[in-house]
Amino acid sequence: MKKNQFVPQLPYGTRDFLPKEAKHKRMVEESLAKLFSSWGYDEIVTPTFEYLETLSVSGGAELAETMFKFFDKKNSILALRADMTTPIARVAATRLRDNGPLQRLFYLTNVFRHEEAQAGRQCEFYQAGVELLGEADAAADAEVVALAVQAMLDAGLTNFQIGLGQVEFINGLMQESGLSKEECQQIKHCMVTRDLVGLETILAVSGVAEKTQQVIKSIPLLHGKEELLEKAYGMINNEVSRAALDNLAHIYQLLKYYGVEQYVNFDLGIIRDFDYYTGMVFEGYTPGLGFPICGGGRYDNMLSSFGAACPATGFALGIERILLALLRQEIDPDCNEREVYVGWNNGSLHKAIQEAVKLRQLGKTVELALTAQNREQAVESQKGRGFAEIIYFGD
Amino acid sequence: MTSSDMDYLTIALPKGKLFGLSADLLAKVGYTAENLSEKSRKLIISNEKEKIRFIITKTADLPTYVEYGAADIGVIGKDVLLEEGKDVYELLDLKFGYCRMMVAVPKALKREKLSDYAHLRVATKFPHIAERFFRSQGIQVEFIKLNGSIELAPMVGLAELIVDIVETGRTLKENNLEEIAQIVPATARLIANRVSFKMKFDRINKLVEDLKSVMAEEAAQ
Repeated sequence: MKKNQFVPQLPYGTRDFLPKEAKHKRMVEESLAKLFSSWGYDEIVTPTFEYLETLSVSGGAELAETMFKFFDKKNSILALRADMTTPIARVAATRLRDNGPLQRLFYLTNVFRHEEAQAGRQCEFYQAGVELLGEADAAADAEVVALAVQAMLDAGLTNFQIGLGQVEFINGLMQESGLSKEECQQIKHCMVTRDLVGLETILAVSGVAEKTQQVIKSIPLLHGKEELLEKAYGMINNEVSRAALDNLAHIYQLLKYYGVEQYVNFDLGIIRDFDYYTGMVFEGYTPGLGFPICGGGRYDNMLSSFGAACPATGFALGIERILLALLRQEIDPDCNEREVYVGWNNGSLHKAIQEAVKLRQLGKTVELALTAQNREQAVESQKGRGFAEIIYFGD
Repeated sequence: MTSSDMDYLTIALPKGKLFGLSADLLAKVGYTAENLSEKSRKLIISNEKEKIRFIITKTADLPTYVEYGAADIGVIGKDVLLEEGKDVYELLDLKFGYCRMMVAVPKALKREKLSDYAHLRVATKFPHIAERFFRSQGIQVEFIKLNGSIELAPMVGLAELIVDIVETGRTLKENNLEEIAQIVPATARLIANRVSFKMKFDRINKLVEDLKSVMAEEAAQ
C-alpha cells in the first residue's frame, strides 16, 4: 500500500454485506417473511429513530444506556431503535388501538446498540421477529415458540434447541423463601449474570433454611424434558411457582400438537431480564455459536407504559447469527445459479437484447454482454463469471 | 471444530500458576489427555477416547475463548473474570489459586485515609476493577494501565498507588510497599459458555458434581 493513500474506515460496530453475503441474508429474510405471513402475521415498519423518551419507556430503560443518541433541531434527544418491541408496543397502544384487541405483527429490520461487538452481532445488526399482542393464554405462547422453531427450520438450521423457562417460577420461590428484598435483588443479579458461585455465597450468609437454599441454588440447573416439571413441582410450596409450572406444562402440551416438542427443553434457569418479562421466556441455541440465536417471552406490562394495558408475547431472531451458524455448520443455502450469458458481436446487439428480455421473462438469470465480443472472448466471459450456459449472436 | 462439535468437550486452561493445579484436579475426575503440559508445542491436545480437547491460552484471553464458545468450559481466576467482565457461567469455586486484589502505596507516601489519595495516579494491570473500586469509594484518581511489574511504577514516579493481586505480600514488603485497602479476594473458578452449558448440560453438570465430590473428599482429609 502506498504511503498517504486514503483508506476509508468504517465506524466501530458496523459492517458491509458484500454481494454473496447480502444474497444469503436476503434469502433467509425472504423465507422468514413468507413464513410469518403464512401464520397470519402482518409486517410493520417503524422509524429508525424516535424520541429517547419513547424508546426508554418501561423495559427500554436498560437498553437506553446502549442507545445511539443525538439531537434534533429543537434539541430534543433522539435515539436509534435498540429493539423493535418498544416501537411496536407504542404503535399498538396508540395507532392500532382501534383495530381490535388481537394483533399479530412481524418485522425484519436493523437495530442499533452501542455495546462491545460479539460473534454475529455488531452495533448495527438485523433482527427478524414477531409480537403477538392481546392474548394472555398459553395458546399464544405456544404459537410463538412453535413459530420460532419453524423459523429456524425454514432458515435452514437443523440442529438446534429451545430452552423454555418461566420467570414467575423464580419470583414465587423468592416470595416463599422469606429473603429480604435486597437479598432477592442480589440473588436475581447473580442469576442474570450467571454467577452460581456468588449465588451460593449470598445464600450461605442469608440465614434461610438449608432446604430453601438448596432449591434456589438448583434453579440454574433445572434442565430437562417433562420429568423436570415433576421434579420442580416437588421442590416448591407456593401458588405462584405452581401456576408457572402449570403454564409451562400447558404450553408444552400444545407444542406437542404442533409437533415441535423434540426441539424444546425446559430450563427454569432462563431469565433473560426480570424487569421486562412476566411469564414464559425462551432462548434458542445451535452448535458452533456461543451466543443464543433467538430469544423471547411474555411481557404483559410493557404496553401499559404506553397507556393501554395489553398482554403480549413474542421473539426476535438474529439474522447475522443465523448466517454465521449456517456457515459454521457448513450448510450452504442454495443460491439461484447464474444461468445464461448472452454475448454478441458487432451488428447483433439488438438480437441479443431481445433474447435477454425473452429469457428473463421466462424467469432465467441472464447477464447481457455490454461490449462486442468474438466467440472466444464471450465463452471466456461466460466461464469467468460463472454462467452455466451461453447464447451467442454474431459470426 | 471446537464447541460446534457436539461429541467433544473443549476445556481451556490458563498458562501460569493455575495450569498445574487445574490439570491435576481435572485428572482426578477423568478429564486428562496424554502430553497435557503447559510446555506442549501442540496448541490443541486431544483425548480421542474420552472425547476431550484441551486448549492452553494466555490468562487474560481465557474468558474470551469461553464467551465465544471456542472452548466450552475453562478454569480461570476470579480476578481475571472481574476484570474482563465476559458473559459466561461461573459454575464452581475451585478454592485454589487464592490471591487478593488490593491497593498499595510506598511507605513513604502513606496518608491517613483512602480519600486522601484523591487525584493521584494508580498503576495497575486491572483498570476495570480499580476503576470500579475507586468509583464505589467516591474517590477520583487517574489510572495507568501496565502489563506487569506494577511495583516498579511508584519507585520511578510513574504512579503513587498501585492496584494489584498479592498472594503472600512478600513482593510488597521487598519493595517497601504497604497495603492500604483490600478490594476483593479471588480464587480459581470453573466457567462455561452460556450455550455449551445448555447444549452439553448433562456432561458439564456431571463434571461439576464430580469435581464437588473430589473437593469435598480432599477437604475432609
